[in-house]
Amino acid sequence: MNARVAGLITILAAGVLAPASTTLAAGPSMGPFKPADWASLAQRPDLSGVWENVGAPLNANSAAKTPAAAEKLAKYRAATAAGQIQNVESANCIPPGIPINMAMPYPIELLITPGKVTMIMEAFTQVRHIYTDGRALPEDPDPTYNGTSIGHWEGDALVAETIGFLPETEIAWGLGHSDKLKIVERMRLADPDKLEIQFTITDPAVLTAPWVVKINYKRRRTWGIREYVCAQNNRHNFEASGKTTLDLN
Amino acid sequence: MLSLARTIAIGAGVAVLWTTSVSAHHSYAMFDATKDVTLTGTVKVFEWTNPHVWIRIEVAGANGALEVWGVEGQSPNFLSRRGWSGKTFKAGDKVSIVIHPLKDGAKGGQFVSAVLPNGETKLMTGPSLP
Repeated sequence: MNARVAGLITILAAGVLAPASTTLAAGPSMGPFKPADWASLAQRPDLSGVWENVGAPLNANSAAKTPAAAEKLAKYRAATAAGQIQNVESANCIPPGIPINMAMPYPIELLITPGKVTMIMEAFTQVRHIYTDGRALPEDPDPTYNGTSIGHWEGDALVAETIGFLPETEIAWGLGHSDKLKIVERMRLADPDKLEIQFTITDPAVLTAPWVVKINYKRRRTWGIREYVCAQNNRHNFEASGKTTLDLN
Repeated sequence: MLSLARTIAIGAGVAVLWTTSVSAHHSYAMFDATKDVTLTGTVKVFEWTNPHVWIRIEVAGANGALEVWGVEGQSPNFLSRRGWSGKTFKAGDKVSIVIHPLKDGAKGGQFVSAVLPNGETKLMTGPSLP
């Protein structure tokens, strides 16, 4: 084999193997992208589209909770059963964060572009930016409602890692978290119209073991994401004291 | 009306069935889900808004005086995928609405079902449309 042929084989092999690498070759980038960057996306399962949650709402029952977290959850549920609103923040139009906001009776949309997966959550009109361009998770990101995310491909699955959540968000209604919360999502197509997202949630302050929970989504070819501006006409006002006011006029 | 809702739900098979107890926004703890109250009267206002649609309906109270009740429904996002639109109710419509009343006795409640002027029954739950 002469050097020229060997070189060609190397180039071809690199071309074939490039899509298997987890990220763009050049490292963190928001463009401009080259045709090869777009072409590499075609090698992946197409997760893009509008997806309806066809599972059930998240239920903290299946989570292995610390005694303190279990006690807090029991109080939350007892108070709710007694007629007191407990999810005060969301009732006042503050988004609940993930995974709750992905377990809503509202769809999500995934947009796959070079170096990034964008998730639009219809509930509360929230957007997640999952960087797949090779950057590392920051060590101490500013806390946000939906956290700070990076992602990479493992075979046919997009794996997203997220940290940095505001303390007022919850991992299930009535189940809070600490600043050690980490959420790993494995997103894959069970078939072209079925998206599975498996969440592995770890937080030593509230969970005694990783909580693994899966949500199934159905592709909705004719749907679009609608606007959801919660403050448009929120007639409820829930105060931290537990007092509820409702404007009926 | 509840039995009708259940019949439709069972017929829906594998489709997810969000019940009236599920909301993105708040728990429905303030409504008494064990009670149904039927309001028959005239629609004053229909607000096709997030996070909830609101119907204000004028009905004859116990002493015959007219009173206005506020009825909360799901969101336009949820309902538009279940056959509702911003024109499902119009001011002046003569309708009958079943609600779960507020526990505190105020003149309001959660939408359960309605009979529209054309006789059609409208529910809030059930499977989403394609």
